[in-house]
Amino acid sequence: MGAETSSNPPGWRERLSGRVDGSLLALCVGSLAVVVGGGLVQVSFGAFSMTVAEAWRAVFDPNVLFDIDAWEAFLLGGTVPEMDERSLIVWNIRLPRVFVAGFVGTNLAVSGAIFQAVTRNELASPFVLGVSSGAGLSVLLTLVVFSGLTTFLPVVASVGGAAAFLLVYAIAWQNGTSPVRLVLAGVIVGTVFSSLQTALFFFADDIAVVQSAIAWTTGSLTGTDWEQVRMALPWTVVTTSLALVGARQLNVLLLGEQTASSLGMSVERVRFALSGVAVLAAAASIAVAGIVGFVGLIVPHVVRNVVGSDYRKLVVGCVFAGPALMVAADVGARLALSPVQIPVGIVTGLIGGPYFLYLMRRQEQVGEI
Amino acid sequence: MSGDDPTTLRGEELVFSYPTGDGPVVDGESITAEAGAVTALVGPNGSGKSTLLEGLADQLPSDSGSVLLDGRAVQSYDEKELARTMGLLSQESTAPDSISVEELVFHGRYPHRGFFEGTTTEDERAVDRAIELAGCGQIRDREVGSLSGGQRQLAWIAMVLAQDTDVLLLDEPTTFLDLHHQLEVIEIVETLREESDVTVVVVLHDIEQAARLADKVVALDDGVVRARGQPDAVVTEELLAEVFQVDATVESTPRGPRIEPLRARHAGDETADRGHSGGERDRLDEPATHTGGD
Repeated sequence: MGAETSSNPPGWRERLSGRVDGSLLALCVGSLAVVVGGGLVQVSFGAFSMTVAEAWRAVFDPNVLFDIDAWEAFLLGGTVPEMDERSLIVWNIRLPRVFVAGFVGTNLAVSGAIFQAVTRNELASPFVLGVSSGAGLSVLLTLVVFSGLTTFLPVVASVGGAAAFLLVYAIAWQNGTSPVRLVLAGVIVGTVFSSLQTALFFFADDIAVVQSAIAWTTGSLTGTDWEQVRMALPWTVVTTSLALVGARQLNVLLLGEQTASSLGMSVERVRFALSGVAVLAAAASIAVAGIVGFVGLIVPHVVRNVVGSDYRKLVVGCVFAGPALMVAADVGARLALSPVQIPVGIVTGLIGGPYFLYLMRRQEQVGEI
Repeated sequence: MSGDDPTTLRGEELVFSYPTGDGPVVDGESITAEAGAVTALVGPNGSGKSTLLEGLADQLPSDSGSVLLDGRAVQSYDEKELARTMGLLSQESTAPDSISVEELVFHGRYPHRGFFEGTTTEDERAVDRAIELAGCGQIRDREVGSLSGGQRQLAWIAMVLAQDTDVLLLDEPTTFLDLHHQLEVIEIVETLREESDVTVVVVLHDIEQAARLADKVVALDDGVVRARGQPDAVVTEELLAEVFQVDATVESTPRGPRIEPLRARHAGDETADRGHSGGERDRLDEPATHTGGD
């Protein structure tokens, strides 16, 4: 800030790009470093242990890296071509998990950022409009009642989440919506659905079913491989692009409904469309990892503290910082209590709580954007 | 600013009510904002002046009646087209603390930009013009959160000015501001009146300010227009007594009417003398003595 003392002030474009280069770039580089570092730890350690050097060699194994057949198998499905044991473990088991963590982080962070603008509340999360409770209930229903649908669990969970969002919107609608009514409707639907969800646990007759349900409702990356990458990648690209395109709309939405409307925005339509993008992003992450809490709440918050609340920068920051948190948390989830793996959602919760405690102590006003 | 001919804004037989209220807030009123002139809406709290303004801005659905902008119903305008023709500075203005004044003013260009379009040199010129007119040059790069209330209001006014509209609606732009910033705002509106064709409708709390600023004053009470016309003709002792419930002397000066408020009027004052109102006070005291015995 103090650098602008020259007698010839630069034009606003230069100043704007100057600010982008500064804090946002630092955030992105830092996040990338965390992702790469976390990824390196993830591919090096585990039940089959290898040295860091061996892991790196396997990651940059030219026989895999430049093998079109291998990439085809990874990204489009099919049989993976022959490779040595280390490469197989790194490329087929450990790396996809890192990628999935990255996609989940991106989706949740972008989703949370959008919902925080739509509800104009910094404490909103991707799950504020009932998505998590809808997904959780449909997971429990599938596991306990309609066990024939278990193979479609990712789809069922996402659809359940999206359906709950529509229900929330329908409840909130009364000649239009408002941020407060949307949040209240989210609480209503969330309360009822979580009760039903908890009730269903009583009818689970098998400890395996309960464990599976817990993994889904707290969020877990255990056992993810390229199939989850294939599932999450296209949606991540779509929702991230839409969020970047919608960044200016989000900025105007932050000025308040009446101002946005008098600037010529059709507030209801834009709000619903952007909420839809956010739900899509949340649903994509639920489909591959279950309901991972706190990431979508914390990441936009951290990014906002660094780059400010301009959504053109905030969304970009979230695309980098989301994966950083998620990959780092998954290191803890997978390796902290090795050989037992815990759901990654437990780790994000353990990080999220203290972070908010820190914020509460440091900032006087938490909540308003 | 833009457009060759100044634009007229007309509301006809407007009825507005809020879903939660019992009766209409504005009941069948017509109002014309003359092209290129400043029209001030005055009235006591709850008289419906802000409601009427919001209604004129097409921000509140009317129960009946119509709003005509340039002879065309506002509903027939596309949302962005309307926002390019008519701007509204509302009382509910909140911006994130961390955006700069300049970024805020650039939001005023929203209706001029397509979904995927970036800013053009035309946008930059309009923003520069608006910032200069609103006198925000000094605070251009400051964060909105670091500004005083008065500076913030000027930044918001700059944003509405950047919208580059033919009609400008201002909802209590001077309320809660210190004297200096009140005068800044007043001077912006005076500049608009003298140097541009912009049609201005402004809601003001301060009747003296309204009289000084406006070509035409419209006084509202309880959703009904009680008087309209030249400031001198509207701002009278009778109007202050009837509409604002104050006894005041109004003195005509070259700078417009000067008001010296004397006392607030109470219910029954019109028909009763002081002795009677004293008796009324006694009656009001009675319940207090009753409860005192408990």
